[in-house]
Amino acid sequence: MRARTIIATLVALLALTGQAQAQAKKVLKIGWAQDPQTLSPFIDYDEEDFRVWAINYDLLVNFSADNLGPTPGFAQSWDLSPDKKTVTFHMIKGAKWSDGQPITSADVKWSLDVLGGNGALFTGYTDNVTSVTTPDADTVIVKTKKPDARIVGGLFIYMLPKHVWGKQPVKSLTTTYKPQIPMVGSGPYVVTEFKRNRIIRMQPNRYFRGPKPKFDEIDWIKYGSGDAVNRALTLGEIDVNAEVSPAAFERLGRTKGIKTVKAASPSFTELAFNLCSKQHCPDAKFNPAVQDRTVRQAIGYAVDRDRINEISNRNTSFTGHGILPNYYKDFYAVPATDYPYDPEKAKQMLDAAGWKPGDGGVRQKGDEKLSFNLYVRSESQDNIQDARLVKEMAKAVGIDFKVQVVSTDKLTELTTQKVDGKMAPDFDTFIWGWGGDPYDPSTLLQLVTTSQIGGSSDSFYSNPEYDRLFDQQAGEFDIDKRKPIVKQMIEITQRDLPYLVLTVDPVLQAYRTDRLSGVQLSCPKPTGDLYCEQVSYAPWATLGPPTVAAAKTADEGGGSGLVIVLIAVGVIVVALGVFIVLRRRRREREAIEV
Amino acid sequence: MSFRWLVGKAGAALLTLIFVLVFNFFLFRVMGDPTAQLARLPRATPQEIVQLRHAYGLDKPLLGQFVDYVGDTARLDLGISQRTRRPVWSEIGDALPWTLLLIGTGTLLATIVGTWLGIVAATRRGSRTDDGLLGFSLFTYAAPEYWIGLILILILAVALPIFPAGLQVTPGKEFSSWFAHAADVAEHLVLPAIALTLVLLGQYFVIMRSSMVDVLTEDFITVKRATGLPWHRVVRRHAVPNALLPLVTLSAIQFGYVMGGLITIETIFSWPGLGLLEFDAINSKDFPVLQGAFLVFAVAVITLNLLADVLYFFLDPRVQTA
Repeated sequence: MRARTIIATLVALLALTGQAQAQAKKVLKIGWAQDPQTLSPFIDYDEEDFRVWAINYDLLVNFSADNLGPTPGFAQSWDLSPDKKTVTFHMIKGAKWSDGQPITSADVKWSLDVLGGNGALFTGYTDNVTSVTTPDADTVIVKTKKPDARIVGGLFIYMLPKHVWGKQPVKSLTTTYKPQIPMVGSGPYVVTEFKRNRIIRMQPNRYFRGPKPKFDEIDWIKYGSGDAVNRALTLGEIDVNAEVSPAAFERLGRTKGIKTVKAASPSFTELAFNLCSKQHCPDAKFNPAVQDRTVRQAIGYAVDRDRINEISNRNTSFTGHGILPNYYKDFYAVPATDYPYDPEKAKQMLDAAGWKPGDGGVRQKGDEKLSFNLYVRSESQDNIQDARLVKEMAKAVGIDFKVQVVSTDKLTELTTQKVDGKMAPDFDTFIWGWGGDPYDPSTLLQLVTTSQIGGSSDSFYSNPEYDRLFDQQAGEFDIDKRKPIVKQMIEITQRDLPYLVLTVDPVLQAYRTDRLSGVQLSCPKPTGDLYCEQVSYAPWATLGPPTVAAAKTADEGGGSGLVIVLIAVGVIVVALGVFIVLRRRRREREAIEV
Repeated sequence: MSFRWLVGKAGAALLTLIFVLVFNFFLFRVMGDPTAQLARLPRATPQEIVQLRHAYGLDKPLLGQFVDYVGDTARLDLGISQRTRRPVWSEIGDALPWTLLLIGTGTLLATIVGTWLGIVAATRRGSRTDDGLLGFSLFTYAAPEYWIGLILILILAVALPIFPAGLQVTPGKEFSSWFAHAADVAEHLVLPAIALTLVLLGQYFVIMRSSMVDVLTEDFITVKRATGLPWHRVVRRHAVPNALLPLVTLSAIQFGYVMGGLITIETIFSWPGLGLLEFDAINSKDFPVLQGAFLVFAVAVITLNLLADVLYFFLDPRVQTA
């Protein structure tokens, strides 16, 4: 009777366990080696934050997953005034925050004014805005000093709920305030748990106005290192690796059941030249030969960018073609002047310009020698490798680069130092990188404008024609009219070469094919990434758990480790006990014999 | 005389601590400014970088920062983490229990196994068992921590998927009971604890072995054997207690070595203790956390060393008369 009761209880327990497994939550586990600091857009600036914010929040105008162009966010539609300095946004109707409160124009105004005015990385977008007004709950009017196309499709400021964040004084928001959890938002999932250094849990927003998300939960799991994330993915402990290193990319791609994703990003790595004029930098220090355009163009032909990508980046990057990465689908085109690898042409150009081989094969003209310092940051092994390759390739055409590995701080100092209030850069060339915005190309195009000398310009290039075109395109809302202007600007920079863009940085991800269905590479389609990295929540409409059969296979194994170790420890303890007892008996016998 | 000896030791410990305090401050600042990276994001305007440097207190002259640091540390205020904006004490408080669990388990296992193997080897001096154990322990002692960690992962998590390769608990799992949670943590603890045990084992083994060999050749052991006591009883009751003395200090002195190994082991196994906290702080140049965690490490090592000296003072009368 007693035995029967025990068996019945065990069977019931097993049945319950089975049921629990059947009802198990559909959780997507994403691993990363670095996690956000506070998740507050007022304080944080890491890309990990943007990954989470992009799912938790909307923008006034979202980025389209198809081509990154403007698509409805909190604004359903918008009208442009004839002078292009006023944009009237019409809000989506009936939408709610994840806590059930209505989304209104007051939230938009608060976000643009307060986050746009004080957020760690958001103030640059509103420098041209003169006023944000809300005549009613469904309308927002944004006025600007001059036409600014970024207002539609480039206003990268998250929309925060005023009824939550607005209660805090700005001083607190910008110093110590941490977002309330759950993090009230408007995206398909919102953060419901944030344990720093461990886990961020996101769960569906039940008031989300779009398609119901397919996962019950997204877990962002922090590991100690990139290697640990790769191992966790290989072992099936996680489903997605959010940031694969170039070194591991190929290996993961060869692993059964894992698929890798390589997409372009808005970032590039460039060889920059010091083009600062006497007018802007009277005390700058550089070899004047670096300002000879023919020399820079010859370097362009002498450097094999494909090979640099192959060796330094293990072929995980994209070869650079001008200062606009191929990520900018609406604006990108391979420039007419593209500097294909042609060392013979480089030699001919230098010969024709009077640069003749001198001591040690280094070309010279009069007292000037084609010998340049090439600074590179000690923190980036890839950049150091880039510099070595540039040196080796340029040597073949008679140009000498002296590679100087310095700290990021030192290079920042060399490129930003001033004398008597004027810029005084002290370098010939350096290798570093820049990152741009998701859709609008202005952030990258402005790097070589005259107005940025003293700001973010580090080539100190100045060309009035380029500046004029920059202003023209920045105020042009019509994409068909804007694209040819951008193309013209790219051709100018390719001719004058303030930067020789070596490679376009990739977004590298990997996922387990048995854990994820509905994958449509997006942002832009079809060459983008798994979940619109840092840009949009749109892919979460299709991304979902696998079919039942695949999930079953995935759930097998695991969880038995402790049982096995307990059994093993038990066996060892028993064996040791037997051994000690037997030995003691033998010794006692020996002692008596003695 | 003995009081003066103790005061001298305590004074030396205090001086070491002050030196570590000063050294830490300047050492970490050699790594550069955490806001330098921001300069490359077009989103970050120069004004924003200035604001951030102000928020971090990096716009003050180095000497001013140092004075603030010394004053705050003297008041036991370790400051606010530049990354998380939480008090450094909270960051340390979150990480410390995990470190104590790992160090405690690793040290305990290493002491027990290392001592036991030392006794086994010493009682079989010159035998194959002795040679084998000596070779094994020297090997684990000499092998780098990361190598041991990776090999364990390769064997026991990848080739034979018995244990989890990292973290302290299965992520996202909800536990029905406290016991289920503890069992899950225990499962995750196995590999990092074995790694730490292997790293520490060698030294315990070598010290215990040589100490035992010394004791076993003493006259009183021969006398005990001559009285007819069984060999295992001579070893257990008379030799081992006398040979244990050097291990007392070793446990304390080795603590510094444990701390060094801990950063590597916690990073490899994603174990969220002080080592990983330190590693992340180095990567993000979070000076207050770096300084705070290093201070905790330094205080722990210095205190334990002092404790070892004091313990030895009471345990070994020769020190008192010296």
